[in-house]
Amino acid sequence: MTAVLQTTPALEPVPGYRLSLRRFARNRLALAGLVAVVLFLLFCFVGPLIYSTDQTHTDLTQVNLAPSGAHLLGTDAVGHDELGRLMYGGKISLLVGLAAGVLATVIGTLWGAVAGYAGGWLDAVMMRIVDAGIAIPALFILLVVSAITTPDALGLIVILGLVSWLVPSRLVRAETLTLKSRDYVLTLRAIGGSHGRAIGRHILPNSVSTIVVAATFQVADAILLVAYVSYLGLGVQPPSTDWGGMLSAGLTAAYSGRWWLIVPPGLAIILVVCAFNAIGDGLRDAFDVRGRG
Amino acid sequence: MDTALYLTRRLLQSLAVVLIVTVVVFCLLHALPGGPARGILGPQATNEQIAAFNHEQGLDRPLPVQYVYYLHTLLQGDLGTSYTLNEAVSRLIEQRLPKTLVLTVLSALVGLVLAIPLGMWQAVRRNKPVDYVVTTLSFIAYSTPVYFLGLLLILVFTQTLRWFPSQAPQGDTLSQVFSDPVALVLPVVTGAASMIAVFSRYMRASTLDNLAEDYVRTARSGGSRPFAVLWRHVFRNSLTPVIAMLGYYVPVLFGGALVVEQLFNYPGMGLLFWSAAQSSDYPVLLGCVLVISVATVIGTLLADIVQRIVDPRVKAERT
Amino acid sequence: MSVLEIEDLGVTFSTDTGDVPAVRDVSLYVRPGETLALVGESGSGKSTVALAAMGLLPGNARVSGRISVDGTPIVGADNRELSGLRGRTVSMVFQEPATALDPLTRVGAQIAEVVRNHRQVSRAEAARVAVDLLRRVGIPEPEHRASAFPFQLSGGQRQRVVIAMAIANSPGLLIADEPTTALDVTVQAEILDLLRALAADSGTGVLLVTHNMGVVADFADRVAVMLEGEVVETGTVEDVLLRPSHEYTRRLLAAVPRLAVGEPQAAGTAGEDPEERDSSASVVELRDVSVHFGRGRRTVRALQNVSLTVRPGETVGLVGESGSGKSTAARVALGLLHPDAGSVALFGNDLARTRGRARRSLLSGVGVVLQDPVASLDARMSVAECVAEPLRVHRRGMTAAQRRARVAEVLELVRLPGELAGRGPRELSGGQRQRVSLARALVLEPRLLVADEPTSALDVSVQRTVLEVIAELQGELGFACLFVSHDLAVVQEFAQRVVVMRAGSVEEEGPTMTTLLRPETEYTRRLIAAVPVPDPVLQRRRRASLGLEATA
Repeated sequence: MTAVLQTTPALEPVPGYRLSLRRFARNRLALAGLVAVVLFLLFCFVGPLIYSTDQTHTDLTQVNLAPSGAHLLGTDAVGHDELGRLMYGGKISLLVGLAAGVLATVIGTLWGAVAGYAGGWLDAVMMRIVDAGIAIPALFILLVVSAITTPDALGLIVILGLVSWLVPSRLVRAETLTLKSRDYVLTLRAIGGSHGRAIGRHILPNSVSTIVVAATFQVADAILLVAYVSYLGLGVQPPSTDWGGMLSAGLTAAYSGRWWLIVPPGLAIILVVCAFNAIGDGLRDAFDVRGRG
Repeated sequence: MDTALYLTRRLLQSLAVVLIVTVVVFCLLHALPGGPARGILGPQATNEQIAAFNHEQGLDRPLPVQYVYYLHTLLQGDLGTSYTLNEAVSRLIEQRLPKTLVLTVLSALVGLVLAIPLGMWQAVRRNKPVDYVVTTLSFIAYSTPVYFLGLLLILVFTQTLRWFPSQAPQGDTLSQVFSDPVALVLPVVTGAASMIAVFSRYMRASTLDNLAEDYVRTARSGGSRPFAVLWRHVFRNSLTPVIAMLGYYVPVLFGGALVVEQLFNYPGMGLLFWSAAQSSDYPVLLGCVLVISVATVIGTLLADIVQRIVDPRVKAERT
Repeated sequence: MSVLEIEDLGVTFSTDTGDVPAVRDVSLYVRPGETLALVGESGSGKSTVALAAMGLLPGNARVSGRISVDGTPIVGADNRELSGLRGRTVSMVFQEPATALDPLTRVGAQIAEVVRNHRQVSRAEAARVAVDLLRRVGIPEPEHRASAFPFQLSGGQRQRVVIAMAIANSPGLLIADEPTTALDVTVQAEILDLLRALAADSGTGVLLVTHNMGVVADFADRVAVMLEGEVVETGTVEDVLLRPSHEYTRRLLAAVPRLAVGEPQAAGTAGEDPEERDSSASVVELRDVSVHFGRGRRTVRALQNVSLTVRPGETVGLVGESGSGKSTAARVALGLLHPDAGSVALFGNDLARTRGRARRSLLSGVGVVLQDPVASLDARMSVAECVAEPLRVHRRGMTAAQRRARVAEVLELVRLPGELAGRGPRELSGGQRQRVSLARALVLEPRLLVADEPTSALDVSVQRTVLEVIAELQGELGFACLFVSHDLAVVQEFAQRVVVMRAGSVEEEGPTMTTLLRPETEYTRRLIAAVPVPDPVLQRRRRASLGLEATA
């Protein structure tokens, strides 16, 4: 019963996604994040083709060298070139982080959409399970798992995906709840349209922006979690490594002044995680959806 | 409305959550190599001993039956016995939990006291240099692994400036922990950093939402000065949703404590848990998971109740 | 001297898509004790003028020209000066009482804050003044209500609290921006009475911003009509409403649905009773339907023993105030809500007992148009896809080409140009969107159209077009219509029969002209009396006779 009354005239001649794109493009922090992610992907996946180093064999004649012309970032305790190792470890960090983040979002989306659309007791039970999952701190679960087994990269993706789908499931559920009472969904239901059509044609497509934003934050968190996992001793095993593994391997070296063993992987983690967070922030503002503050 | 009804419902929900947590822990227990028998008899037990024990304890019976049995022992406060420390897990946790609570509560307080004004300041100065600088800093703080941040703090404040020790206060009692407050600084700051980042973001978003509310316009049209509007109206309204988020942040705080305690050698539950993981001391590991989860559920419940006290509005049907 | 003087006001907003001029060359004044109504449709800039007079425009606004309140300039004044004026010299009442008050502060404290902003009084004294103010604005048990939180008050009471804040320091100028738009008509009448009494007592000048010509006729002394940011006509309320000189004002007034009110002397001639028509078949029939929400002590009885019939080809108007259950009844008729008791028959079949294929084919005979033009269409679909959706659900055999042809046909029916088919809903105006909704509702040639407040979010001129399209198509296609509305004038024009609902029950029903001209129940009489008609002379007479009735 409220009349539409605006203090500023509503001028929206451009379709939604183009407006979103423009808003995103104006967010300098988000653009910087996007550029950083692209650069890091090039660095890790194309870099080794240009700057090729041996990351499988140890070379005890070349240990703990400070940065120099031959080794731009020096070498580590077993003689691997640190710059090459940064590329090599970054591959694992980024791959596992991206895959685990996407996996968590997929699980969370399905769970949240079903709970939100079904409603009633099923929703209540499904959300109590999510509450229980949130109540068990992820790091504790990961440490228990690390005491039982040492997974490979694929196993790591699955484990990380399984401990981090909870937050996206809550977001998607909330989104589904609002969407299912939208007038266009009610109209469809009133003329006999099926639940499948309501979900497939309206609810999921309209949740895409929420899901994309959630996924971006999820990837950021997953990359951070990969770094913790190595610290907890659950990471990939040598000679393979990731940034977290390099960082925790270099921890003791830091006290004796070998900064080049911890600063590059530490900065790499911070920059990549920041970049994904900035992108997520920009996307959320651009799509104008709710999500993590 | 009926606060009693609400409380009962929330308590029942929390109970359901705790029950699900016990199922998860029970499943983990059975996922252990050798199962719970190994967990009780220790790593040296032979396969024959394990088989005999399983039969004797009814561990060859169907899992649901065993789960009921497991719940029964839990209700008696029996979390098993540590194999490395040779003491009841419940006793170990009883000693360590208060120290972890001190660390987490202090970190949370420091975090909130800094984050809330920071977030409001950012909202008021939206898209001004201050906002960008704080946003960037909070991104960095959020993105830094806790152990890396702790290490940097030790390198700067212990090794270079020699202001604070790198070792947290030792000792078994709380008074011993509090006897050396300077030694608490670095662990608390390390634990608070990402909290400041996260909650200044929440507070910023919440304040921005509230600044756009109609009641702000009403207060201003009544002649209230901008600062008065901010302090009397916007602050409290912005705070309530942030308090609700606090509940969800409890597990993250405990996760942080795990790393901080290990890094600064602080003798709390995190360190207990850490060393148990190194020695595959399963009863301790699972006992800690259970207790931490229950603590989280209680924390969430408290946050909810506090929010309800602060906000008089009827929250209709929140699930 | 005038309490408000605006000269050559210009306001431009800088937005994402460039500069948008909102107000151009507006000049007007308000003298002490008089009410100037600023009328216009959405986007005309009337609210912008009001906010500019308070110095409350958002940061992206650029202002030129001169505004002075009680001799003090507003444009260019700093925060300190503005805070000194606001609440003391000029006050404002806003449209939305639901959000205008701080939800976490007791209403007494919010009023006291305004008092203490401008008077050096103790807290206790300010609290006493707040209670007095609550009494003046007609809040019962003011001592008790002062400690209530806003959510504990009804919409009308909240608006009274906002008014109490506005008059706390007896300002010379009161700006009321659509003060009754969010309220039910009976509450609107009470609030207008209150504002009138307060202004008359204190000689306060009022700037009333509204789109409702009835409110203007009821309340204003002079009128300024705005169109696209400019004032196109100013004059006394009689001149503007009865003898409009500008073409736009004439069009606007012609579009306003007018409630024909039974003059007391006209009563007595019995009209023909359409009830006599054969009542064998019904399109939809609700029989003793009850619906409640929630459980235990919080149970809300949304519907109680509601019976309702729509016969082929007829339009039934379902009217009532908010919370009367009219929308709930429509949802039950659509099968979106299952009644807790009673039954629903759609085209003669019991809806609760029909499942699967049979239910779907039953529902294919129904078209739906809901209130919100924005939420009714999925923004991710093109207009053509929106309109084609029912075809995809019920005519699966259709080829893409056939669908396209059918969509083009219906778009033409609702008088939308074919080019719009490829556009997104965001690119359309509110009226166009509602016509797309209508096209979607009609694409299957339904036997029943359920329209829930289809035009209440639209401007009057747009509302007129949409209503005309529906009426015309109904004549052509012969569908029955269940028309839910809070607007008695629209229902009177549009429906053959009317059902008046109140608090979940049917209050009375009958042929529209009989029921609305000679209502049988006291409630309906009050409802009709509360609707202001856009004729100042007639409205004054109605108010006078109502006042006599009240004192008698």
